[in-house]
Amino acid sequence: MRVNRRIALFGVVALAALAAGIGFAVWSRPAPDAGQLLALALPDAQGTRQPLQQWRGKVLVVNFWATWCGPCREEMPEFVRAQRDLGPAGLQVVGIAIDQADKVASFAKELDLNYPALVGSYEALDVAKPLGDALLGLPFTVILDRQGRIVHTQLGPMKPTQLRAIISKFL
Amino acid sequence: MSTGLPKRPPSAAFRGRLLWAAAALLLAASALGQSPLPPDRAFRFSARMVDAQTVEARFTIADGYYLYRDRIHFSAQPADAGLAVPALPGGAVKEDPFFGRVETYRGGMVVNLALKTAKPGEQVVIAAESQGCADIGICYPATVQRVTIPIPEASVAPSSSGATPKKPWFN
Repeated sequence: MRVNRRIALFGVVALAALAAGIGFAVWSRPAPDAGQLLALALPDAQGTRQPLQQWRGKVLVVNFWATWCGPCREEMPEFVRAQRDLGPAGLQVVGIAIDQADKVASFAKELDLNYPALVGSYEALDVAKPLGDALLGLPFTVILDRQGRIVHTQLGPMKPTQLRAIISKFL
Repeated sequence: MSTGLPKRPPSAAFRGRLLWAAAALLLAASALGQSPLPPDRAFRFSARMVDAQTVEARFTIADGYYLYRDRIHFSAQPADAGLAVPALPGGAVKEDPFFGRVETYRGGMVVNLALKTAKPGEQVVIAAESQGCADIGICYPATVQRVTIPIPEASVAPSSSGATPKKPWFN
């Protein structure tokens, strides 16, 4: 009986250590590097090449999306509102659509988009892989501070309150 | 090793609590890494011959995921296998604010494809392209899954008396 109890106790401690180890590994993961993302230069819906570097110094919200992605389209009005309200304070939202230019232009017009809608191929989306989007799912949002450091990534739609809270912290 | 105290009852209760604690810890550890399925597991494609010229193509769709009917495309290699794809079964109808009427599949989808001129004994690769989303609010790019099907050697259908089938396929 005593030996069984000791083995059982050992098991519990081992499991607790495992859980703690996983937790620590997740928490202390090094921040992903924004180099590849900031080096992107993509055409907008009118065909004009737009390098992401031009927005250096802004709090940058880069949102990967597509017109064929319902949740992406539903989330976008929130980015429009954030850009309207916080643009003057230094926010810049940039959309990267993995899509066709004409569809992007059409949807941008429908939403009265007040931020750039760049057009990318799956190659552009590949940049998202090492940043936390291994499955290439959309929407995927990356938030960078004024120094170009990644401060938040999100796969799936962002809650408006969460978006505002994070942006405001770095403005 | 008698201590003079009465022996404790068997530690079934203790084992029960231990099992509970272990389960809770494992659940907590796994919750830390809860993430969406990769598309080839969310929308698993399989195919098998059901007779000498018919392939049963199947999508097994995980709970909480759905596929778009009009983004499913089949092709076969070699091209001279004579793939014929019928109209796909109807899906659940939804009014999409951007795309209008769309049909989606949940749970699964099965369709019989014809290989009109596949040679007995050869290998045919069926490629299935699909695009879908998860209810948690993410969409995947279109992905292609491939299954290699060996064409059976000789037709052993008792009713056929010649090389050509009696029934026309999907024309």
